Parts: sequence; structure tokens; C-alpha cells
Amino acid sequence: MLRVENLRKSFTSEGGLVDAVDDITFSIASGEFFTLLGPSGCGKSTTLRCVAGLERITSGMIEIDGEVVASNSRNLEANRRPISMVFQSYAIWPHMTVLGNVVFPLSTRGSGKKRRMSRKERRDRGMEALKMVQLDHLADRDAPFLSGGQQQRVALARCLVVQPKLLLLDEPLSNLDAKLREEMRFEIKDLTARLGISTIYVTHDQAEALSMSDQIAVMSGGKILQQGTSREIYLEPSSAAVARIAGNVNVLEGAIVGSIETPHEANVRMPSGKMLRCRTVEAKRGEGNVEIMFRPELVDVRLDDKAEPPVDSASVNSLPARVGRIDFTGDHLKAHFETADGEVIAKLAPNVVLTNGDEVTLLIKAENCVAQ
Amino acid sequence: MADSVLHDRRPFGRISQYLNAARGNWAVVAAVAVMVVFVVVPLTYLMITSLTVSSIGTLGDWTLENYENAFASPDLVYQAFRNTIGVATIGTAISLMLAGLFAWLVERTDMPFRNLAFIVILLPIALPSILFVLSWTVLLAPRSGLLNLPLRDMLEFLGIQLTDGPFDIYTLGGVIFLDSLRGVTTIFLMLVAAFRLFDATLEDAAKVSGAGTFHTIRSVTIPLLAPALLAACMYSFISSMDQFEAALVAGLPGQVLLLPTLIFFTVRMQSPADYGLGAVYSIMFMALMIVLLVLYRRIINKSERFVTVSGKAYRPQMIVLGRWRYLALAVVGLFGIATVGLPALTLGWISVLPPNSALVLGTGTQLTFEAYIDIFTNPRSLKIVWNTLVMLTMTATITMGIAFLVSWAIVRGRARGRGLLDGMSFLPYAFPGVTVAIALIFVFLNPPGNYLRVYGSVSILVIGLTITYIAFSTRLMNGAIAQIGRELEEAGRTSGATQLEVMRRITLPLLMPAFIAGWIWVASHAMRSFSIPLVLSSNKNQVIAPEIWRVWQVGHLSTAAAYGVLLMIFLIPITFWMRRLMTRANRWMDG
Repeated sequence: MLRVENLRKSFTSEGGLVDAVDDITFSIASGEFFTLLGPSGCGKSTTLRCVAGLERITSGMIEIDGEVVASNSRNLEANRRPISMVFQSYAIWPHMTVLGNVVFPLSTRGSGKKRRMSRKERRDRGMEALKMVQLDHLADRDAPFLSGGQQQRVALARCLVVQPKLLLLDEPLSNLDAKLREEMRFEIKDLTARLGISTIYVTHDQAEALSMSDQIAVMSGGKILQQGTSREIYLEPSSAAVARIAGNVNVLEGAIVGSIETPHEANVRMPSGKMLRCRTVEAKRGEGNVEIMFRPELVDVRLDDKAEPPVDSASVNSLPARVGRIDFTGDHLKAHFETADGEVIAKLAPNVVLTNGDEVTLLIKAENCVAQ
Repeated sequence: MADSVLHDRRPFGRISQYLNAARGNWAVVAAVAVMVVFVVVPLTYLMITSLTVSSIGTLGDWTLENYENAFASPDLVYQAFRNTIGVATIGTAISLMLAGLFAWLVERTDMPFRNLAFIVILLPIALPSILFVLSWTVLLAPRSGLLNLPLRDMLEFLGIQLTDGPFDIYTLGGVIFLDSLRGVTTIFLMLVAAFRLFDATLEDAAKVSGAGTFHTIRSVTIPLLAPALLAACMYSFISSMDQFEAALVAGLPGQVLLLPTLIFFTVRMQSPADYGLGAVYSIMFMALMIVLLVLYRRIINKSERFVTVSGKAYRPQMIVLGRWRYLALAVVGLFGIATVGLPALTLGWISVLPPNSALVLGTGTQLTFEAYIDIFTNPRSLKIVWNTLVMLTMTATITMGIAFLVSWAIVRGRARGRGLLDGMSFLPYAFPGVTVAIALIFVFLNPPGNYLRVYGSVSILVIGLTITYIAFSTRLMNGAIAQIGRELEEAGRTSGATQLEVMRRITLPLLMPAFIAGWIWVASHAMRSFSIPLVLSSNKNQVIAPEIWRVWQVGHLSTAAAYGVLLMIFLIPITFWMRRLMTRANRWMDG
């Protein structure tokens, strides 16, 4: 559906030439929901704008649906690419009605339409698109008199009305309040899946990315660090940078000792001499330091004064620790622990009782520990 | 599929690359082309004329004679420079004091009838300069001035005998008086804007830190407003340098020469006209103006960084004037009488006097509407009104069209020429009307411009006025376009619209309020424009403002006054309508 090869986009800034997008390659299958996830300034929006044709690429190639739209010698203008785009600000034209906004793409000369549609046909198509986002009752209202969520839906309808081959969404939910954001997530996902539209979604919010995407590309500094499914990105990050972009994570240092045994498992020694059993996806044998990563919600706590059955040390790591700061937020308990090898944060059930200064043991399953 | 087409083009790769770049930035290319025609070409002709033997119709031989001539009579040039700068300096200082007082009274005190006061201070905009100046020559002519007569009677009562005076408008002082009164409204509006943008919580912060009212004004209010004050002064100063009407009507008869009148005299009044010398004077004048303009830009760049825009609809505490409030109102009232009341009454009075009558009515003379009837029945005056309407419609439309194109290229364009374009569009602000006009004489009387047969037509007036209004209108459009989110246009592109379609269906409709406001601003200024149509006038392209002066000059005072009254009746409602539109345009943009 979409192929992006060796895409590079440089801007001239005060310090000289800066590569906002630095040689990235990815492709999207038909009907796939693909997300570019990364912090602001990582080049994800620039990548999207290159695909849309709003930025001229510096080098590389972009192919949409078998047609090269941008290469070193060719640059198809935005209006002639088979795409639709939702902007961060929604970009709803204030001088038109809701329906006027939605039917606009049907009356332009671009996007390869052969014949001009009749007024009635355009209206019908527009109403159909508005129905999809449940705004058909507001069709004749002036666009400025809409709430943020409604503007968002109009922007979506304006894209769906032309049945684009590729839908581009540039941080579409970042201006909505938290509750509405969650609602819209599922609505967008549902609509694109139902209509079978290939989608590129740009966001800095890992919850959005993880909950919606078929594929996620994590970007930083103009490069793609890792591409994979939500589970792969979250549970098997290829580096601490990826792990941090995808959510909260504990990172400790260590070095692999001995050989990698059973598929992708290894013993890692930490500076204190303590050994941890970790999974490792990209084998790093023997010498060389690795980063040990595990998610705060996958850490268990055992109070030392209680008599409990011993743990299976082959599959569960245990780390002695002292309780530090405790934040009670209601839906969970965020506890900071001091260990011999650094700080560890655990996200625990709200009914766990801990006291500052307690000596405890942290339990982390080997399968939840990733060393890279 | 399209790739094969692409490869066929390869042999012409480089050329097609340039073409592609030009096509992608066609708006920038077009904007630069327009600015070159309107700004660079006239400037170039001015340069060439200053360096060639004076002749019209063909370009003479190269020479430095004109410059030698200019410096051969240094006294004349020195006097003109000194007078021009002196008038602008003193006039601006007085304007600033009055405008500062008025702005403070209207915005920050409990003076009664503040809204009415605002309108009174605004009204001078609706009175064309030429009418203001002519009426004051009637009021303060040394011997027969309508104000001097009663003043002399009063002095006589006190035992002082005078044959003329006590005031004489035909002096340097007279020119300064006229200029300072005319300058107040512009500075006032700029200061009011600054006052309203000013974040009053900054003052509150000073007060709760223990500073008293005057300490606060001195240590917080004035330093924070200083850049805005300075910018307003600079703007007013530059406008004063270019003012022509007072210099011509009050200055020239009293042998007070200013730069614009020196140029006008050299090119249009003396016989034979010396175009080469006029060009040299023009270049010297422009050089001075450009220096001022560069200073002005520095100041506004700084002040834009400085002003704290609050946007909150929070009105600071009103300062209670107590007993002084009626004195304050009286000062505003006096200003209104001097700038509009007296001039309007004078013109109205003269317009109903019978032809060739004395200004003070003797017995047996009958008031008459003959002058008005004459205007409405005389084919010549109908032609003048028609010319004026054509001129202002064309000027406003062309100016705003160019402003839209140029501003779009400046704000949205990606090409490297944007900074240059910005400078080129601001430069004409430094072009005095007289110099633009004589530059156009050179352009359209010499080959190849003379083949266009523009000289002597209304079109040449339109070109001249367009050049002088480009600076203001592009500033207005720059601001308006910058307020339209870029994504609104990009959404049009990703919806399949071409760049032209986006401009037509999205950008332009969104800009309509600003576009219309600018159109009316240009039209109303074109309507009262004086120096350019005067210098470029011929039999076929007479328009109203210079015609008033011409008719006055030949002694038909009542006809001239009647023209003036009609012009004012037309301009007053337009002025207020324009103000409303401009404020609404801004509000609409912000919302």
C-alpha cells in the first residue's frame, strides 16, 4: 500500500542543515493501522507531511498504491495524491457550514476524479460521511459553532467522504480532553477497520499507539528505532529508549554471563554481583554491557517478615530492596525502592500496605525481564 | 506508470527542475515581478534622470551636472532640509503630547463623554488635509483672517494697535501648527492600541509591591510603553516629512520652502522645469526617508518583542480626575473645534457666499447655493467626480490584490526571496508622494514607457497611489494572513485542491473582512489624495482634491468650498464604517 524508502528530509536552521527525518524505511500493508510513535521533534510529523506532499523530500522514495509520488526527480503535489489528512488543529474552515466542509474534497479538481458530481450527489455523499461520525444532525450549522470533539469528527468525515486509499492522522486527539480522547480512539479505530482504509497515525501518546495500532514504528532523532506490534514494542523493546517511549520502565545495568541457553534466556550479572535471569531478543553474548528492562506493573513485592513459600529461582528473580517514596494515586500505588543496583519503581494494587524504610523483596519473573 | 513520463523528461532535467521550482513558488515569482515593476522601475528611472542631461521624451547624455547644480545653491537645499526636519520634529513633539494626553484621558480616566471624545479625536481623518489647510489660511491670513479680525479688535480694546496679525499662517510657525494638529489622530490611535494591549496586572504588581501611582507610571507604565510610543512618533515623523498640503498652501506663499515643495517647484512650477535637478532632490529626500524607515523598523521589531499582550478583557482602575475632568473635556473640545469644527464651518460659510464676495458679509449680499448647483450641473465637475471614482476604485482593488499576493508570498512562501520581498513592500513607505509622481513622469514620458500612453490618464494616478499605499496594505494583509492557521490551507491541499483553488476558496474568503477594511482604507485615502494627482495632473485626469486647490487658486473660493463640503459629507460616514470594519475584522480573526 505504502512504501517509504530511505526517506530523508533536511531543514536549514541556524546551526546549518538538520536532518529532521534521517534515512527511514518502512511499508504499510493494505488496510493496516500503522502508528508513528515518538516524542515531539522526533520527525514523525515531518514523515507524515512528506507522505502527504506538504513537504518536499530531500532524498529517498515514497510510493503509494503502486505509484511513486515522491522521489529524487519527482514530486506529486499534495492535491494529486490519493490521501486524506486530519490535522492536529482539525483545520475546520470557519467560513463554511459543517456540510460545506465535508463536501469540499468532492468539488476540487485534484485526487484524480474523472467527472464532476452533481450538487445532490455531493450532498448525499457528505451526509453519508457525516452519518458515519454521527453528526448528520449538525450538517447545516456554521463550523465555528462546534465543540472540539465535534470538529474532530467533521475533520474525519471530510476525509472519509472521498474514500481515500491512505488516511493520515496527525496527533488528532491531542487537543481533546482525556475522557473524549479515549472514546475517539475506539471510534477512529473502528471506522478505519470497518472501511478497510490504510492509516498512518502520528502520536506521542503511547496509550493511543498501543491500543489502536496493528504496527508501531517508534521514532527518535529522525530515525526508526524499532517497528513491531503493540506487544512487541511494549514487552520486547529493542533498547531502553524504545522502552521509555512506549511507557514507564525500570532500567538497570548488567552484563551477560555465560552462554544464552534455552531460546533467548541468559544470566545477567549486575554491578553488585547479583544475578538476574532475563530474556534477550537480540543476543549479546559474554562481554559487553546490557540494559535490563522491566515494567513497574510487572514487579511484585514480598514483605520479608511474612512466611511465604520460597520462590522458584529458575523462573523468578528476587531482589532485596528498601521502600522509599510512596505515591498513592487511588487506582494504584506507585512505590519507589532502593536496591543495591539502583532505583526500582513498582506499580502495585492500591490495597498493598508499605511503610517507608521497610526491607522487602522484589519479585520479577524472568520472562518479564528483558536484557538488550 | 508516471515514472516512464518522468524518465522521458530526464534530458531536460535541469531546466525542468527550475521550471518545477518556479511552478511550486509561482506566487513568490509573481509577487517579486509586481514589486519590481512598481518599486524598482520607478526608482531606476529616478536614478537615470538624475544622471543625464535634463530632457523629456529621450534619454539625454550621462552627466553629473545635476548634482553639481544641486550643490551650487546649498542655501536653498539646506533651508529645505532644515525646515522639513524642523517641522517634522516640532510638529511630532506637539502631536505626541496632545495624543498622549488624549489617549490617557480616554483610556484611563473618568473624563465624561469618553466615547464622544474618541469620535472627536478620530474625526480629522475624515477631513482631507487640503481642506483643513485651505480653511486655516482663511482663518489666519495675516490681514483678512477671520480669526485675526476679532483678535485685533480685542487687542485694540486693550490699547494695542495692529494693522495685521496677530497671527500669520504663511510662516514656518503656521506650517508647524497645521502639521502638529494633523498628526494627533494617528499617534492617538496607535497609543490607544498600545494601552489596550498593555497588561494592567503589571501595574497592579507594582502597586502591591508598594509603589504609588506616580511611581508606578514612571517605573512600569512608561518604560513598558516606551517602544510603542517611539514607534508611533517615528511613524508620525515620517508622515510629517511627506506632508505636502501645508507646505504648499501655507509654506510656499510665505517663502518657507520644504523638501516636497522644493521638488514640486523645480519640476512643476518654475519655467523651464528642471527634471534632472528635481530627480537629484528626490533622491536626497528619499535617502533621508530610507534612513528613518530603517530606524523605524528597528524600533518596531524591538517593541513587538516588548509588548505584553494580555488579551484579557480586564479594564484597569479608572483614575479619578475630580474637578479637572471638565477642563480635560474642554481641551478635547478645543482640539475638535480647531481640527474639524472651525474648518468645516469656514468651508460651509464660504460655499454659500456669492461669487467674488468678501469673506465678511457686507449689507445687501445674499447667501446662495449657486456653487452647489454649478457643481451638479457642470459637465466638468461631473467628469472630475467620475475620474475620482474610477481612480479610487481601481487603486483600492489593484492595491489590495497586490497586497494579498505579496503578503501571501511573504507569509506562506518557502522561497529564499521572502525577506527581500518583505523589504521591497515596506520600502515605498519611504517614498514621498511628490517623488513617486515625478519618478512616474520619467517612466512614462521616456521610451519605452511613453508608448503605453499612460501619461495624462487616470491610470498613471492609480499607479502612483498604488505604490504609496502598498506598504500599509501589505502590513495589514501580512497580519491577517499570519492569523489564518497554516493547517486550514494545508487541509485544502490534502482535500485535492490546487494552490490556486485553496487561495480562491479558503484563504481569500477567510481574509474578506481584512480585505474589505483595507479596500475602504485605500479608497478613502485615494479619494482625498493630493500630491500625486497634483503633480501628475493634466487636462484629462483631474480629480477632486487637486481640483479644489486649483479652483481656489484662480479665485473661485465658493466652488472650491462647496466641493470640500460635499467631499466631507461623503467621507465622514465612510471613516466610521471603516473603523467598525477594521475592529470587527480583528475580532473575527482572533475568535
